[in-house]
Amino acid sequence: MAIDPLKTVGQNTPRIDAYERVTGQATYTRDIKLPGMLYARVLRSNVPHAMIRRIDTSKAEALPGVRAVMTHETHKIPYGSGSISGGRQYSDAHKDITTRLRYTFNDHVRYVGEPVAAVAAVNRHVAEEALQLIEIDYEELPFVLDVEEAIEPGAPEIWSGGNIAHDSENRQQPIGGRTGDLEAGFAEADQIFEDRFTTQFVQDAQMEPRSALAHWEGDKLILHTPTQGVSNCRHDTARDLGLEDHQVQVICQYMGGGFGDKNGNYYFDLIAAAFARDLGVPVMVELSRKDDWLATHGRWHTVQDYRVGVKDDGTVTAIQLNGLSGMGPYLRRSGNVAGMDVYACENTEKSILPVHTNRVVSGNFRAPTYPQGYFGIESMMDEVAYKLGIDPVQFALKNMVRPTETKQFTNFTLDQCIEQGAELFDWANRWKPEPGSGEGPIKRGAGMAFMMFNARLGASSAILRVNAEGRYTVYVGVTDIGPGAKTTMSMLAAEELGVPLSDVDIVWGDSDRCPYSVGESGSRCTMMTGYAVVEAARDLKRQIAENGMPQGDSVLIASATPAPTTNGKLREGFGAHFVEVEVDTHLGDVRVTKYVTVHESGRILNPLPALDQIRGAVIQGIGQALTEDLRYDSRNGQPLTSGYYWGRHLTHLDVPQIENVFIETDDGLGPYGAKTVGESGIIIAPVAVANAVYNAIGHRMRDLPITRDKILEVVA
Amino acid sequence: MKDSHDSEVSRREFIGGTGAAIVAANTIPVKAQDRSGESNERAIEDVPLTRITLTVNGTEHRVAVEDRWTLTELLRDHLGLTGTRIGCNRGECGACTVLLDGEPAYSCSTLAVWAHGRSVQTVEGLEKSGRVSKLQQAFIDHNAPQCGFCTSGQLMSATALLQRNANPTVREIREALAGNLCRCSNYNAIVEAVQAATRTGGA
Amino acid sequence: MKTFANHNPGSVDEAVAIAQAAISDGLSVSFAGGGTDLLQLVKDRIPNRPGAGAPDVLVNLKSIPGIGGIAVNARGGLTIGGLAPLSALAASSVVRQRYSVLAEAAEQVASPQIRNTGTLAGNVCQRPWCWYFRNGFNCYKAGGNQCFSIVGEHQLHAIFGGGPSFIVHPSDVAPALVALEATFHIIGPHGERTLPAAEFFVLPRDDAGHENVLGDAEVLVSINLPASANGVHSSYHKVMDRQTWTHAVASAAVVLDMEEGLCRSARIVLGGVAPIPWRVQAAEALLAGERVTAELADAVGVAAVAEAQPLAKNAYKVPLTRRLVERTVLAVSGVA
Repeated sequence: MAIDPLKTVGQNTPRIDAYERVTGQATYTRDIKLPGMLYARVLRSNVPHAMIRRIDTSKAEALPGVRAVMTHETHKIPYGSGSISGGRQYSDAHKDITTRLRYTFNDHVRYVGEPVAAVAAVNRHVAEEALQLIEIDYEELPFVLDVEEAIEPGAPEIWSGGNIAHDSENRQQPIGGRTGDLEAGFAEADQIFEDRFTTQFVQDAQMEPRSALAHWEGDKLILHTPTQGVSNCRHDTARDLGLEDHQVQVICQYMGGGFGDKNGNYYFDLIAAAFARDLGVPVMVELSRKDDWLATHGRWHTVQDYRVGVKDDGTVTAIQLNGLSGMGPYLRRSGNVAGMDVYACENTEKSILPVHTNRVVSGNFRAPTYPQGYFGIESMMDEVAYKLGIDPVQFALKNMVRPTETKQFTNFTLDQCIEQGAELFDWANRWKPEPGSGEGPIKRGAGMAFMMFNARLGASSAILRVNAEGRYTVYVGVTDIGPGAKTTMSMLAAEELGVPLSDVDIVWGDSDRCPYSVGESGSRCTMMTGYAVVEAARDLKRQIAENGMPQGDSVLIASATPAPTTNGKLREGFGAHFVEVEVDTHLGDVRVTKYVTVHESGRILNPLPALDQIRGAVIQGIGQALTEDLRYDSRNGQPLTSGYYWGRHLTHLDVPQIENVFIETDDGLGPYGAKTVGESGIIIAPVAVANAVYNAIGHRMRDLPITRDKILEVVA
Repeated sequence: MKDSHDSEVSRREFIGGTGAAIVAANTIPVKAQDRSGESNERAIEDVPLTRITLTVNGTEHRVAVEDRWTLTELLRDHLGLTGTRIGCNRGECGACTVLLDGEPAYSCSTLAVWAHGRSVQTVEGLEKSGRVSKLQQAFIDHNAPQCGFCTSGQLMSATALLQRNANPTVREIREALAGNLCRCSNYNAIVEAVQAATRTGGA
Repeated sequence: MKTFANHNPGSVDEAVAIAQAAISDGLSVSFAGGGTDLLQLVKDRIPNRPGAGAPDVLVNLKSIPGIGGIAVNARGGLTIGGLAPLSALAASSVVRQRYSVLAEAAEQVASPQIRNTGTLAGNVCQRPWCWYFRNGFNCYKAGGNQCFSIVGEHQLHAIFGGGPSFIVHPSDVAPALVALEATFHIIGPHGERTLPAAEFFVLPRDDAGHENVLGDAEVLVSINLPASANGVHSSYHKVMDRQTWTHAVASAAVVLDMEEGLCRSARIVLGGVAPIPWRVQAAEALLAGERVTAELADAVGVAAVAEAQPLAKNAYKVPLTRRLVERTVLAVSGVA
């Protein structure tokens, strides 16, 4: 489908704030200095599960330079009573219902890393030293790390009533449901396959360690914090502190990476706010890298049991998934597992239990439910294809979802993505019909996977102003976490107004100065807030047409809060990945030697950063496939591999050149037909790599990450 | 605190006792007015403080530093050069990379007192008379920063590389930047930017 | 960070005197070479010596002139100052030409930034990178009386020489130095001493807390390499869980003295698999006087791991080490 070329949109455009980013002038939260500010540090539980019998802060308080110490005894601040940060059960409507309320400090500590006290002092060294002087008497409790053990009878209860997480009505019910007729689907099958796949916890690990700087003007809180959404962060913080939204101003001008679950507030925001209120001065809470690792969140780990019915001709007739998601001790996000709906098969059942353990809290990481679920379903289907002797590409084209009368899409390109990718990659020559058949100890193999990701529409706001000089100002509540939202929003305004980009200024990242934005999560900011910018620009153009340009000191202002819908159709981004790996069967190394992606994300508004969203996401996904993990000692309940050294995050030397092609379309929705980009690239990277490893060595890797010990166990 | 004070006294006596000819290590008691970048507090701890001289981006600084300050802390908290970032504070990520006598170093993993007499270059020193360097311009043009938090460190490692090798291969670029993590994983774009800033523009 | 006082001595004797005096004052003291690893231990409050608290005194050895050079000595060998930066070792033409195993080991340490700052002696003397020790467990290496890895997570732990601690020696240059039959020159409160590299390192069964014989106030000042004969070829191969900035899962330092296609003698020292650089003499013996072939290299690899005693979760290191030795021997001998 050809798209109509535009003037600004679609042009490779360097970020409008690139200068600040390459000269060190970009101001991140920790770079801010306010007169008289204090520094705070957080003390954390060093046991996985305990009741605090006694906590003695007197020595810490006596240390010169210490201004205040905070514990569960002094401050009982709910954390997560807002609509976003606390997970579903703590939405406004349900915050009074929940029986599993989390506080900023809890006397019942449930994981290593849980905050137990905080110190504000004149500098960070004094604050750190003071933490060492706090004495805590723990009554240690039995703990559980494994999701299956956690739901066995007699398992240590992290919450009274058992370790299955509550839903918003305090029910312990699985996520999922049934479609079609599962029993009929299995009855129709010639063969039934079963297998188990597991995925690991993966820390978001953004480069900027979290911090928060709070100060008060009267009864108003001003909070600087690295959030993905100033609007939601404000709302959450107000809820937790018992304030009205207008009493909180959240500011985030630059933030060092957001890969999920930062579109809200965090407990350290509340600690900074409480200290600043108590002491009457600005307070900066700084998390160490280890704090950030163990006491924020990462992708939930899963156990997935699949059962698939298939006809001898390769038609999938039934898919059943039973799974467990490890949520840590507090439910922050859903725990769902995505992926089954990328297959056309109508007879399905999915049942996922979100389970509490005494591990780090799980939360959203780039396409929160997807890489886990796609690893499961597409490993399973890859296995089925080989068992039936069918080329995985042919199996995909045969069984993938397609538009039907009852399942309509705003547009559909999944087949194109697969076919074009196979050709670009030279699948026919790189893929080995006989897995593990390469000569010599270093074996090559090829794998593929395909995906779709919701490109939803929804309400968000923008304001646009023009003055007599002809300068246009866009007001949007984005923080620009990396994809380049400030630039995109400005380009959309310039395009719709028909003015050069250089005539457009932007005000961003400030909840007092900018209208509501959904924030940068769910790959939706461009579609929702971007569409609001386009609508506001249309209104401003209309005003200019009616009234002429403003004169003197007057300005024209337009705003928009559109809430477009797809009229019941599915709106999805599509993609297919093709990977070649080299497995050294003597040493156990896996190297990615070629990686081709084809994505359809509607119209690409700014190709330069869009390409890098895909490439970066793919590389994160390769890391999930091969190295990243958070290993625990099962006897002590202690995490062993926090941080970038132990996490083995991929470096310049580990990554291949990613070759990406965008199929551009315009379905007439969203801003100029733009769809989802930011999360798309990570979804199938782990499974595509795993499928390539299978093709190389002929052994299925069912458990992520695919480390050397697992490779050598089967091939050495 | 009393213990800390006592041990400090004994340390000072001990230095006198050994007669050590210590370069720029004239440890002196803390005075509030020496403590820039901190709240206007009275002396809060009797911590060792040392006067050092170092050159930062071509400007000589004479400063009194706490012995425990890392070079990053000196730069960020006391010289106002916040372009050098703290990512891990453990020498694992490279966000704090500066050039120490021209060579990339993790400023979180060296003490400020150890930088006495040395020359430090930070990201703020890359711009010359209001113009960004060719490398910085290439970073802008090639979208090398995503969130931007690792960017300063990547720039410093790449600057040192190009100073000693104006025409590195892709492999040499990756090796020179291997100690700089990018969690946005924008590695492809960063290498493309460095290539563009080589003598042949990566051709 | 905890408060400490930094000292900049002008000589090794003065450094030793400062340390000695601090110790007799009941203070905790640490020598700093590059300091890259030491500072992380200090920040994380992990003892740099078993049972020691965070240091009260740091002795900055970089302030001492003349102990960071690389020079050919009177005996035709090489004298390398303990404070020589790892990047200088990797870049030195004489090291590259005559002692390539050492240059290759140095250039695979950690990251460029750490190689610029980190030193030869610092790399040799660095504390273990066991995840228990580095996470603050009170294990043998911290001064405690147990090794948590045995019944815990030990995927990266020792398959040779373990017990009661199962750490692996983390240094890349140490196996190369043992393979080159280097000697270590040490200055301490009781004067100077010189040791063969192999005698510098100690097994946990002899001293569970320390990895080497250095006393609390001793400094590894320089390392001497014997003259390198014509025909000596060497290489260091390192297996890592990513391509940079990790310690060896297994490594092999191989030095072959070759003459007209025959191997006169061989030295094979392993890293990442034992609490000390682990020499495998049975494997070396197979090469002496033989022509290196693919079959022989395979047998050498088998012999290298014959004595391995893996734990439950690190058995993969046995075939890995076998193949690594085979490959490194083939690479050094020039047999493809």
